[in-house]
Amino acid sequence: MSKIEFDKYEVGQELPPLKVDPVTHANLVRYAGASGDFNPIHNDPDFARKTGLDGTIAHGMFVMAQIGRLCTAWADQKQIREFGVTFKAMTKPGQKLTCSGKIKRKKEENGEKLLTVAVEAADESGEVKASGELVVVC
Amino acid sequence: MAEKGISKDLIGTKLDRYEFDVERGKIKEFCQAIGETNPIYFDVEAAKKAGFEDIPAPPTFPTVIQFWGYPKIWKDMENMGVDTSRILHLKEKYNYVKTLYPGRVSSQGECVNVTVGKMDTMTFKTTIKDAKGDTVIEAEMSIFIRKPEQ
Repeated sequence: MSKIEFDKYEVGQELPPLKVDPVTHANLVRYAGASGDFNPIHNDPDFARKTGLDGTIAHGMFVMAQIGRLCTAWADQKQIREFGVTFKAMTKPGQKLTCSGKIKRKKEENGEKLLTVAVEAADESGEVKASGELVVVC
Repeated sequence: MAEKGISKDLIGTKLDRYEFDVERGKIKEFCQAIGETNPIYFDVEAAKKAGFEDIPAPPTFPTVIQFWGYPKIWKDMENMGVDTSRILHLKEKYNYVKTLYPGRVSSQGECVNVTVGKMDTMTFKTTIKDAKGDTVIEAEMSIFIRKPEQ
């Protein structure tokens, strides 16, 4: 985490990727407790199957939190203005995510220098689980 | 499972206002659960050295405020006609006005959009304010409701 300087980044430049350990049931139980999201599709395989899934799936917000770690490992959190993602595919226990980011846009607006970064999390097969944007103020 | 459904009439529905105490310990617990290791989230002195007033809440922490601060959301959604066993998260977006630190916050969510048809979706906008009443974070969450298999 360091102060991001506008002039040091070009469109297309990539952030150092963040490799995440394979998602485990234990991770998800712990995340449920920490976040308060106890929807049983994330921690009860029988319940998940009854709703038509083939087992438990990770909380979308667990995946977004991993992208969040990529963002705060790169930028000073005080610079982060916006962070949003769209969830594209379900993440299942055993899958290994890598979070990545690429500078998408540089603009100056109302006296502020803004860097927009395209961010995403994908598994080992390259399936994108979530993608979105991070906006930092330089 | 009973027949349920949502409608556009829900747009504008406000959820209850609630308060929540953001605690350093809760921030640490959340950070441990997501695999975060940066000392600014665990040690006040490290946070201050990095220019923060206190331990900051990491970017996706508002979800803790929403679920622990307002567990009634599940019941509210069921009452709105949502089959909560079939919801999936579609989008989440945060606008950070100020850094979120330990302390009391107040929050209120509102249903701002509903789509019905090929894909049933709902969008909630939640504003989190600090003890002074200043907006700290604006969150927008969209969910979609999976249809039962044919």
